[in-house]
Amino acid sequence: MRSGRFPAFLSTILKNKLTYRVASLALRCFGGRMCPYQLAAAKGVISELGDAYSARKPVIFASAFVPTEIVYGLGAVPYLPEMWSGFAAAFGVSERGIDESEAKGYSQDLCSFHRCHLGLEELSLLPRPSAIIVSPHLCDGGRRSLYAHSVSAGCPFYVIDVPYVMTDSSVRWLSLQVERICEDISRRVPGLGLDRMGRAIENSNRARKIYLDVCQLRRNEPAPWSGSEALNYVFAFLSGWGSEWLIELYESLANVLKHRIEESRYPVPQERLRLLWLNLKPYYKSSLFEYLERSGVSIAFEEYSYVYWPEMDERRWAEGIAIKMLTNFGWGPIERRLDAVWKMVSDYQVDGVVQFDQWGCRQSNGGGRVLADFLREKGIPFLELDGDAVDPRNSSLAQALTRLQAFVEVMDARRQQARGAHLLSSLTRITQERGRDQQDDHRWN
Amino acid sequence: MITVGIDSGSRATKVAVVSDGRILAAVKAETGREPALTASLCLDDALRNCGLSRQDVSSIITTGYGRDLIPGRKRSVTEITCHARGAFEIVPGAKTVIDIGGQDSKVIRLDGTGLVIDFVMNDKCAAGTGRFLEVMARRLELDLKDFESEWEDARDASKISSICTVFAESEVVSLISQGVPASSVVRGLCDAIASRIASMGRRVGIERPVVLTGGVSLNGGVRRSLERILGIEIIVPPMSVFMGAYGAALIASSS
Repeated sequence: MRSGRFPAFLSTILKNKLTYRVASLALRCFGGRMCPYQLAAAKGVISELGDAYSARKPVIFASAFVPTEIVYGLGAVPYLPEMWSGFAAAFGVSERGIDESEAKGYSQDLCSFHRCHLGLEELSLLPRPSAIIVSPHLCDGGRRSLYAHSVSAGCPFYVIDVPYVMTDSSVRWLSLQVERICEDISRRVPGLGLDRMGRAIENSNRARKIYLDVCQLRRNEPAPWSGSEALNYVFAFLSGWGSEWLIELYESLANVLKHRIEESRYPVPQERLRLLWLNLKPYYKSSLFEYLERSGVSIAFEEYSYVYWPEMDERRWAEGIAIKMLTNFGWGPIERRLDAVWKMVSDYQVDGVVQFDQWGCRQSNGGGRVLADFLREKGIPFLELDGDAVDPRNSSLAQALTRLQAFVEVMDARRQQARGAHLLSSLTRITQERGRDQQDDHRWN
Repeated sequence: MITVGIDSGSRATKVAVVSDGRILAAVKAETGREPALTASLCLDDALRNCGLSRQDVSSIITTGYGRDLIPGRKRSVTEITCHARGAFEIVPGAKTVIDIGGQDSKVIRLDGTGLVIDFVMNDKCAAGTGRFLEVMARRLELDLKDFESEWEDARDASKISSICTVFAESEVVSLISQGVPASSVVRGLCDAIASRIASMGRRVGIERPVVLTGGVSLNGGVRRSLERILGIEIIVPPMSVFMGAYGAALIASSS
């Protein structure tokens, strides 16, 4: 059924209001068995999917890193098609989506995140957008493929032109655009307005404050949160800012991590090595992370969980949004990303950095050489792991495992050498001190 | 102490029996459909050749794509670490190891003390591997052993522009039909592989001494193209095909 009628079945389920009532009831009855933050995330997702697919609220499609505060502030539901390609991979329907888009004529060179959501539309698996907002963050493919959705839905399409560098005038220019786009949407889409904007910014600030505590807790050694799970929660980091549910999610997460540290209950109790993970990961079933955890390797932190923007002023919300977009490490000069990566390397005391090179993703692969040289100069081992986050047919697990395992061996060997050098210098120091003591004894005697 | 390294590669399984850093016996066979069975038969064969039995073996370490399928191993280690270890033992001070196997190729950078500091592997297609050469040799109706003499006979090198094995095969067919001598095609193929390896190598920085290992190390044509393109001498140590298995056995003796 999964390969044949499953998409049609899934479409029926998604569009049925009863689905969300049953799911909410199930969460009330059995949610106690889930981890509190998982429950908060599930409640948030189910409520928003219900609103989106049953058209209770207008849906605004956005590309990744468009601040969702403006969508919540307008009173709409944000829907990030790229993110749902990841979910499709997890549910085993990404291949169908990709096949559909390729049958429509999209090139195999287009990033599979975009091919997948374009195909999901063909399979009637996406809700109907009332407006689409895109920004240049990450990639050009996102803007173009989301434009295709606006053509099919016949809805307005907004491109936010984010200046490459941050200056006072670029903040002013971007604030003005954000304000005008939001005003235009509120005029053109019935039921939307600007009156909730302050509340959305307030929610975002609250979530940010709690999330910074989560980041602080994640500095603990061993890592209190499994990186492979944290990479699943990138969806919340991308689409939840401005919502109530993100606050609840991060509050619960902070509490869980605090308890884990107090009780010394860690996902990788015998942690030997710590990694920083850049870009995304395969969202279909893959044993890469099981291998890492089995080998005593934790993913201490991920690039797409990094808070890069300052707190926003609710009264000057457009300016806050502009600054958030301008400070994004995935936009602007590469040095901005290097600074962010180095901060994460230092904060989380990692032994190595892995960048997952998504097929067709120019934004991460393009800067690979500069990043490799930068980290090599700092003495941090770096691995570029080629793969496909959405299409399981486009990467070989055996090859990826060999690369990852060899990388772990390189880090192990370095650590052993460093230990050996440390031991040798300690022995030398002790010998020299003894020699001095003997000389002193001789002198006094 | 007798230790064993088993390199279960995608095309061939290699077994080395080692004592005090010396290879007592080495056996190679096609991996086939059952890597574990092939490894077991090779192991028995190798032990028999040096008059030993399984009871005499202190430790077995496996490597290669089938490394986790071989029973009786102490642990598995990747080909990167094993080839580096083996090559450094034979060529002390080696700074770069190029391993070209049946399914993939790797350039490994060492720090001068034998420690791997970086590595790069070919991406998921067969370009730049032994499999690529096998396909082309079949199309040219040549034996891989003849590649070096054909390389020497070539007046020029045909341009093989595609890096995809399937498309490159079409190019070879087209060149044959145009009457281009097989020797030129062979040299063009060796240059194509060498260029690919050279560009991979530049990512990690190729430094002398450079050691060539793996099945393709026996192909003199590829070695000579590599030397020409990189502009440096390439060392092909004795038993270069067994370097992964040898390195695994050395790791077994030191762990």
